[in-house]
Amino acid sequence: MAKPRVAIFDFTGCEGCELNQLNFEDQLLDILAHVDIVEWREAMDGHADEYDIAFVEGSLSTPDCIKRIHEVRRKAKVLVALGACAVQGGINGVKNTHPIEEVREEVYGEDKYLFPTLPALAVSSVVKVDYNVRGCPMTQLEFLKVFTALVLGKEPIEPEHSVCVECKLKENECVYARGMICLGPVTRAGCDAHCPTVGQYCTGCRGLVPEPNLKAMEEILVEHGLNVDEAWKRLQLFNANEIEGVRS
Amino acid sequence: MVQFFLESERVTELVTHLKGQKPVFAPHRKGRKSFAFERVEDAADVVLDYPRVMHSIRKFFLPPRETLMTFDLAENDFSTADVQPSDAIFFGVHSYDLGAVHRLDYNLGKGHPEKNYITRRQGAVFVGVSFEPDAYHFCGSVGIDPMDTSGFDIFLTKLLDGYIVEALTEVGEQLLNGLDLPAHEAGKPARGNFQQHIYLPQAKLNEVMAKSYDNPVWAETAEKCVGCGTCNLVCPTCYCFNVEDTVNIQATGGTRDRHWDGCMLREFTGVAGGEVFREHLADRQRHRVFRKFKYISDETGQPWCVGCGRCTAYCTAGISIVNIVNRLVGDYEKVAVTPI
Amino acid sequence: MNQFQMASPTEARDLYSPVMAVISKVEKMTELENLYTVVLPDGAELGHKPGQFIELSIFGVGEAPFSISSSPTHRGEFELGIRRVGMLTEVLNRMEVGQKVGIRGPFGNGIDIEQFKGRDVLIVAGGIGLVPMRSIINYVIDNPDDFGKLHIVYGSRTDEDLLFTEELARWEADPKIDYHVTVDRGSLDWKGKTGVITTLIPGLELDLEKTVCCVCGPPIMYRFALLALKSKGLPERNIFMSLERRMKCGVGKCGHCQINSTYVCQDGPVYHYPDIKSLQEAL
Ligand SMILES: Cc1cc2nc3c(=O)[nH]c(=O)nc-3n(C[C@H](O)[C@H](O)[C@H](O)COP(=O)(O)OP(=O)(O)OC[C@H]3O[C@@H](n4cnc5c(N)ncnc54)[C@H](O)[C@@H]3O)c2cc1C
Ligand code: SF4
Ligand code: SF4
Ligand code: SF4
Ligand code: SF4
Ligand code: FES
Repeated sequence: MAKPRVAIFDFTGCEGCELNQLNFEDQLLDILAHVDIVEWREAMDGHADEYDIAFVEGSLSTPDCIKRIHEVRRKAKVLVALGACAVQGGINGVKNTHPIEEVREEVYGEDKYLFPTLPALAVSSVVKVDYNVRGCPMTQLEFLKVFTALVLGKEPIEPEHSVCVECKLKENECVYARGMICLGPVTRAGCDAHCPTVGQYCTGCRGLVPEPNLKAMEEILVEHGLNVDEAWKRLQLFNANEIEGVRS
Repeated sequence: MVQFFLESERVTELVTHLKGQKPVFAPHRKGRKSFAFERVEDAADVVLDYPRVMHSIRKFFLPPRETLMTFDLAENDFSTADVQPSDAIFFGVHSYDLGAVHRLDYNLGKGHPEKNYITRRQGAVFVGVSFEPDAYHFCGSVGIDPMDTSGFDIFLTKLLDGYIVEALTEVGEQLLNGLDLPAHEAGKPARGNFQQHIYLPQAKLNEVMAKSYDNPVWAETAEKCVGCGTCNLVCPTCYCFNVEDTVNIQATGGTRDRHWDGCMLREFTGVAGGEVFREHLADRQRHRVFRKFKYISDETGQPWCVGCGRCTAYCTAGISIVNIVNRLVGDYEKVAVTPI
Repeated sequence: MNQFQMASPTEARDLYSPVMAVISKVEKMTELENLYTVVLPDGAELGHKPGQFIELSIFGVGEAPFSISSSPTHRGEFELGIRRVGMLTEVLNRMEVGQKVGIRGPFGNGIDIEQFKGRDVLIVAGGIGLVPMRSIINYVIDNPDDFGKLHIVYGSRTDEDLLFTEELARWEADPKIDYHVTVDRGSLDWKGKTGVITTLIPGLELDLEKTVCCVCGPPIMYRFALLALKSKGLPERNIFMSLERRMKCGVGKCGHCQINSTYVCQDGPVYHYPDIKSLQEAL
């Protein structure tokens, strides 16, 4: 069997997700043994015509991004979104909750009219995304899972349960017991409860579980000391696009 | 049975004495306010005065994650994981948690008796300790007393300055051999009072639950619930699991593992094509509570909730199983006494 | 004392290890469905009852339940009719004759053939529901002296989705079988009936007391099929249905398949309708 041809692209992100930034030393050689990297912005030049798997990092926030993503989609058999920015519109998505002019002012100051920007869109809101590797930065464990699944020709499945499940499987002390607040109850698992395991609260970087009960989550947050606005801000940090319109 | 007296200062000595004979697992401090059963390395780390551990000792017989088999993709073959009897002493167990193990014995032994669980259960010795009910315990209402010694090999009943030590089985007696303890002459202390009660006499269990399917409490509870699954994962009588294959990064082989699952999770009843059979949180709440008070109870005549209070204590949404059950009982009584 | 006595270690079984069986034949039935023939080591018999299922596993992918589609009268091998819908079924679709898969089972409660003997048998199958029903149909066909009349009512989304087309043609041609088929939407070549499956039931000529009926299909079909059967006058005690739920273990442990108090993998998948009629989660 020919090795899958892999391409990697990055759009507007913070570069925290970039594959070459992760601590893959041990696994990188194993990974590369399975694939041919045909395009890797930064690492290679020369544009390949077609790839079996395209990994896309970053959210889409300029008209040029939109053009490029359509091209990537056309050439890719399988498209995988990497990291919160690509999957949820990411932390960039927070700007969607502010009027767009204001954001441009803040980010670009005087030059705001030179840079046409769109709201920070999730890749899936523009083209079809086949699989996600979530997290900010993306969850390494999940990247390896999705990667091996694709190499073996099987469909990776996304967990649909909450981070609390993984947290409880590890018998962690819940950070609520230490007076912190945590978004684990409505956040999609897959990181092996990375943050609570090291005594931190979950910021929800992996996005929401399907059909989340956000009203109930708001109540929990308020019960534990946030006011309603703070509660929704907290929830929106990584899920602004998804939450838009839910809060009534 | 002879009763001995053990001064509080000598608990470490007892643990060390036991540790010399078999591995000992006992409650340790974990995090800032929590406790967990761990293997005893230093007897001084054992904490006997604790309200509850997050995971009961079921975790030693039905581990949160467990490899069932290892497979080789090139050979397309597998080898079944080697499961060993626990052959250890579980020290400082509360009565409700042993009651929960007995219930799991029934569930995993019934129909198709499961080798993994039953093998691990072999050679388990239980040393119990009495406890002071806190704001969540309600085991008294399901027939489990804090000083209930049933099923234990040795039981420690807390006194002001120490413990009454009773050997309840031959195994227990032998383990205590060689330890020089004075006899305890005075009787046992009165047991502490419960702050939480469910008002559901066992004789009515079946009847009340039979009338509760359409109670509004399910939907009302669902409004506050985020479906996180915590209440399942901490319950000592829950045993549902999922199985998943993991492939190593060389893509040469991997493991088939099982891990605890929970009926409060949406995906629990999800099938290919997107159908979810228990779609609404209200349906899932009812299923969870019926698993504890109806389905298995109709079969065995016993509540399957042991009143440990964990699901309430650990629910971030503050949902209380005591309130749910009392509401069902209250509504049942109202209907039962209201003339038609 | 422990009031719940635990089974002894000698009674305990390794419930989760499969036996490795060979795929001896793959036949493409439709765009989505294949019929796989599977042979156990040393040609051992599976020893199933019609209506039972197995758990099929592919290492590195997982395990899933599938009904045994062949009748126990078909010996030395067994057949699985499988629709490609997800992870495991996609990988299975790419496997070739000679490759091995893991098999556990047979599991569940199949048809109690004794209860069916001497009776007329009515099969109501929607879509992929024909796969398990085929084990009963062929059992009845192979033991004609034990049963009365055989009625088959089969509904499919389109004529391209019809399964086991060669067998359907034989059933249709067999004068001893009362065979009816309908499709929701027919192609231009479709000469048969169109309409949902329940439209076929009123026209059946049934000996109501003598007929036992077995229903299997997608979740929404059951309620409508029941209505039609009841208004036809078929007594409830003559109705059986094969249900499907998510499954993991197949042996009554993992909890996924539970419908109220019953475990589909133990008490089902074939249920006597009066036993589940009061279960709110069943239909
Ligand atoms: C008793 C019974 C008999 C069945 N008989 C057949 C049959 O004869 N032919 C056929 O094509 N299909 C049958 N199914 C459905 C079949 O099990 C699912 O299509 C299959 O599990 C999908 O697996 P997947 O990995 O391809 O899908 P995914 O969606 O990737 O599913 C992942 C896993 O979820 C579980 N799962 C998903 N859907 C189901 C489901 N419907 N039932 C149980 N578990 C599920 C399985 O463990 C599966 O491996 C039957 C199901 C049951 C319960
Ligand atoms: S720390 Fe967070 S993720 Fe863990 S159990 Fe508590 S709420 Fe859930
Ligand atoms: S615990 Fe929460 S914030 Fe941390 S990695 Fe997981 S999903 Fe992201
Ligand atoms: S722990 Fe509480 S919020 Fe979570 S599923 Fe259970 S009842 Fe719902
Ligand atoms: S239902 Fe709640 S109180 Fe009862 S045994 Fe389970 S965790 Fe404990
Ligand atoms: S499939 Fe596991 S209990 Fe039925």
